[in-house]
Amino acid sequence: MNSRRFRINHGGCPSEGILFKLKAPAGEQKDSFRMTFPFIAAKIGKAFFLIYLLFHAAFTNACFAQNTAGKVYAAVLFNNSKSNVTGADRYVGVFAREKGEMEWKNFSNTNLFAFGLYFAQHGATQRYYIAGGNGLHRSADGGKTWKILTGWETMEVLSVALDPVETQIIYIATPYGIFKSIDDGKNWAEKMRGCKSWYTDEIIIDARDRHTLYAAVDDDLYRSRDGGENWSPMQAGAPGIRTVFQPATRPEVLLAGTEDHGVRATLDEGKNWSAGKGISATAIYTIHAAADGKAIYAAGYKTGVWRSHDLGQSWLQIWTAPEIEAIYSLFVDPANVAHLFAGTNGKGIYESTDGGKIWRQAGLEGAHVKQIARYPF
Amino acid sequence: MQMPVVLPNIVKQKIKIIKVKIIEALLMILTVIILTCTFCQSFSAAQSQSSFTERKSRLRNAAAQEARKDFFTVIAKLQTQTNVPQALSMLDSLARDEGIGGMFYAYGLIGTYLRARSLLPDSLHVKIRRAFRTRVMYRGDTENHWVMYYTGLYLAAQTWPNEDGAQWFNAKSSQENFAEAKSWLDYWIKLTTTKGQGEFDSPTYFITFVTPMLTLYEFARDPVMKKKAQMMLDYLFADFAVEHLHGNYGGGHSRDYPQDIINPITAMTTKWAWLYFGEPDFEPWSEIKGKSRHPSWETVAGAVSSYRLPEIIRQIATDRSAPYVHTETKRVRNVIRFGEQRNPPVYKYTYMTNDYVLGSLHGGILQPIQQHTWDVTFVSDKPNNTLFTLHPYYSGKELAMFFPEEQKVLSDEVNRFHLVYTNPNKWNASSPYEQTFQHKNALMVLYNINENAQQAHIDGFFPKSLDERVEDASKWIFCKAGKTYIAFYPLQPHEWIEEEVNWRWRSRDLKNGVVVEIGTETTHGSFAEFKNRLRQAKVAHDNFDETLTVQYTTQAGELMQFTYDGQRRLNGKPVDFKSYKLFNGPFLQSEVGSGVLKMTYKNHTRILDFNKVSIKGEE
Repeated sequence: MNSRRFRINHGGCPSEGILFKLKAPAGEQKDSFRMTFPFIAAKIGKAFFLIYLLFHAAFTNACFAQNTAGKVYAAVLFNNSKSNVTGADRYVGVFAREKGEMEWKNFSNTNLFAFGLYFAQHGATQRYYIAGGNGLHRSADGGKTWKILTGWETMEVLSVALDPVETQIIYIATPYGIFKSIDDGKNWAEKMRGCKSWYTDEIIIDARDRHTLYAAVDDDLYRSRDGGENWSPMQAGAPGIRTVFQPATRPEVLLAGTEDHGVRATLDEGKNWSAGKGISATAIYTIHAAADGKAIYAAGYKTGVWRSHDLGQSWLQIWTAPEIEAIYSLFVDPANVAHLFAGTNGKGIYESTDGGKIWRQAGLEGAHVKQIARYPF
Repeated sequence: MQMPVVLPNIVKQKIKIIKVKIIEALLMILTVIILTCTFCQSFSAAQSQSSFTERKSRLRNAAAQEARKDFFTVIAKLQTQTNVPQALSMLDSLARDEGIGGMFYAYGLIGTYLRARSLLPDSLHVKIRRAFRTRVMYRGDTENHWVMYYTGLYLAAQTWPNEDGAQWFNAKSSQENFAEAKSWLDYWIKLTTTKGQGEFDSPTYFITFVTPMLTLYEFARDPVMKKKAQMMLDYLFADFAVEHLHGNYGGGHSRDYPQDIINPITAMTTKWAWLYFGEPDFEPWSEIKGKSRHPSWETVAGAVSSYRLPEIIRQIATDRSAPYVHTETKRVRNVIRFGEQRNPPVYKYTYMTNDYVLGSLHGGILQPIQQHTWDVTFVSDKPNNTLFTLHPYYSGKELAMFFPEEQKVLSDEVNRFHLVYTNPNKWNASSPYEQTFQHKNALMVLYNINENAQQAHIDGFFPKSLDERVEDASKWIFCKAGKTYIAFYPLQPHEWIEEEVNWRWRSRDLKNGVVVEIGTETTHGSFAEFKNRLRQAKVAHDNFDETLTVQYTTQAGELMQFTYDGQRRLNGKPVDFKSYKLFNGPFLQSEVGSGVLKMTYKNHTRILDFNKVSIKGEE
C-alpha cells in the first residue's frame, strides 16, 4: 500500500492540511500479495473514497498545504492568578498569536472556559468550534460571534470530532458520555451503546474511514465502526484513557495516554497493545506528532516532554522543568518539525524552536492551556 | 343478698337534669376551648405576619445602609429610597464591570432590573440589556450554579422576547434561550422532588436556591412556572424548617464552609430563619457571634418579595415542644467517574429536641469538598454551638468523581478556590472511610482509614464555649452546653490540641470511631446525674481492630450494633436504608419518586403535588 492521504480532522487537532506520503512497513507490503478478491474490491472502494477525500481536500483546503503561516491558537480553561470559578473571567477562552508576534490576543469571547478549539472548512465556509464549559460553541464569522449549539443535557463539552464529508455530523465527548448531532448541532443524541462508563475525554475520527471513531472513555479506549451507533472496548490494557492519537502517517497505529499507565500503543489497529517503555506509570494527557511522522511527543502529569521515534514503543525524556506540574497539550508546527509548543497547567505556553532541547515561556502566564493548534486564518 | 336501691321518680328526674346540665356545661367549655384555640391560632398567624412585616422592614433598612456594592444592597436602597444616586451608581458599575459575570451575575442582574426598572434611567436599561448580549454568562458546574444561571436566562429571555441570536451572548434566540431554561428548571424541580436535592440542606448554598426561586416567583409571567417557583420555595423552606432549631440549620449538610460548620448560629441561613421563622431572637447582621465573614444580603430578596411563607411551615420550624425523629433521602451530586450510578441516594437521620439537634448522613463520599457528615448543634447564647468529628480526607480521585478536569491536578485546583481542601486541619470533608449509625439521641461513627489515604487521623471539634468538658476515668468525655449534655466515647487513644475557639480532639488510629449520646436537663436531670448514668453504660468494642464492630445500649435501653461496611442493627433488627422515604417524620411525608410532599402540623395539612402543579391545604 502506498497512497496519499489527506487528514482533515484528527484527535482534537484538525490537521494543518499537509499532504502526507505514506509508506507501509515491509511486512504489510508482503501481506498485500495475499489479498483475496473481496478484499481487493473493498480496497478499491476505499481507494475511491480516499480519492474523493483527496479531491475534496484539495479543493476545499488547498490553502492549508500552501499556507502554513496562520495563527497558533490556545484554548485556556483557567488562569491561576485571575480565574474566578463563578464566572467573569477575561483570561479564559481561546487566544491567538500571529506568526512572528509574541502577543496572544482574544479570539473567542472571554469568560468562556475552553477545553479545545477545532476548525473545519468546506468550500468557502470556515467554521471554528470550541469545546467549552457552557457547551459546544461555533463561530462562522472568524471568531466574531459564537453560538452555543448544545443544550443543558450535554453539560460540558471536552472534545469535538467533525465529520470530514457530512458537515452536519458532529460528535462530542463529554463527562456524561458521547453525543452525536446529524443536523449541524440542532439536536443531539447520546451514543453510548457498548460503553461501560460514560466519562469520555476525547473523541477522534479515523483518518481513513469517517465512520470509524475512537473514544477515550474512562474504562478503556473504545472503537465504533458505524458512526458512533455501537462501541466496543479495544482492551488497551489500562483504564483511565485520557487521550487517543492516530499518527497521520501511520493510521494503523493508535496511541492512548492513560491516567496511571503511561502510553499504550498498538501497531495493528488494536489487535495487540504494548506499554510504551520509559514512561510507564505516569499520567499522559497529550500526544502529538511532527508532520513528517518521525517523532511523536507525549506529556502529562510531572512528566516533562517525552519523544518516541518508534511509534510509541519506547520513549526518551527530552525536557523537564520542576516548576511545571503538568502539561495538558503539545503541538508541533507543521511547517517546522523543530518548532514545539507545550500548554501547561497554570504556567501558560512554553515553546521550543530546536526540537525540544531549549524551551522558553511563550506567554499566557498563569493559564491552563488545554489545547494548542494552528489554523490558517 | 342485697336488695337494689329504688330511687323515687323525683330524684331520678333531678339526676337527669343534672346530667343534661353537665353535658351542656362540657359542651360550652369545649366550644370556648375551640374558639379560644382558633382565635389564638389566627392571632398567632396574624401576629407572625405582623412580625414578618416588621422584620422585612428592619432587614431592608439595614441592607440599605450598606456601602458594599451588590445587587441586593442596590435593591434595598432603591426600595427604601435610601441614597438612590449611590444605588444607581452601584448598579451602573455592576452593569458595566466586565470583571464580574457568570451565574450569580445572570440572575442577580435581571432580578435587580425587574425589581427596579421603573426607577432606572434609560442609560441603565441599555447597559443591562447589553450585558446579556456581549458578556458570556458562564453556566458553572454545580446544581446551585445552574439554578441561578437558568433562572437568570429564563427571566432575561422573557423580558426581551422575540429577539434573534445576535442579541444574546450565546447567539441563541430569545425563544431558544427561554425553552432551554424552562426545560432545565422543569428537570431540576422534578429531580429534586422525586430523588432529592443534590446540594441539600446547606446552610450556605440554601440562599443560592431560595433567592433565584424568589426572583422566579416574582417575575415569571407563565402562571405554571410561577406556581412551581412558589411550590419550590415552600419545599425548600419546609426542608429547612424540619431541621431548624432556634436559628440553626441542624444535622448533616451536603456542603458548607468551615466558618459556618464550627459556628452554626452565624450561617447564611440564620438570616433566612430570622426573617421567615422569627428565630433567632437577635438580628443576625448586628450580632456577629464571633464571625469574621462579610455579611451577605440575599435575604433582601425575601424582604421585597410577595411570596409569603405558609404559616404551617413556620410552625414546623419553631414548635419544638416534643422531640422527633426525621429521616430523608437525598442524592449524591452527579457522578461522572468511578461510580455505577449517576445519583446514588444519601440517607439522612435527624433527631430534634428543644435544646439540641443531632443529625447525620450515612457516610462515604456524598458530596465532594465541603461535606459535613454529622454534628450535634445545641441552643446556646455563645458562639461555636456545635460538636462533631471528621476524617479530613482529600484526593484527586474524589474530585474526579464529580469534576471533568485531570485527576492528579484537581486537588490543587480546588485548593485555589476553597483554600483548605488539602489542609489536614480542615473542618469540612467527605471521606470514603467514615460511616455512621444513629438512633434518636445516640450515634456511632466508625472510621476505617486506608493506610495510603491522605491524612491518617480523625479530628473532633470541641468548642471552648462549652460550659464544661470533662475527661472521665470511665473513658467517656462529658460536655455541658447550657441545658445540653454530651457524652462522647472514643474507641481509641486521643490527644487534645488547643486552638483559637476550640479544642481539637485528634485520634491517630486508622481503625477508629466514637459513640455519642446526648441528654438534657429534662431527660437526665442534673449534669452529675447524666454523667453517673453514662458511667454505667458499656461500649462493647473488643477486638475492634479485627471486627470493626461496636455495640452500645442507649440510656433508653435500646441496643445498637454497628459493623463498619456491615450491618447496622437496632435491638437485633437490621436497619434498612432502602426503606427511607424522601421525607419521613411527624411534619413532612414524601415517598421517593412521588413528586408529592405532605406537610402536617397538628390538624393542619398542606400538600404540594408537583405532578399536578397544585397545592392542597390551607393558605
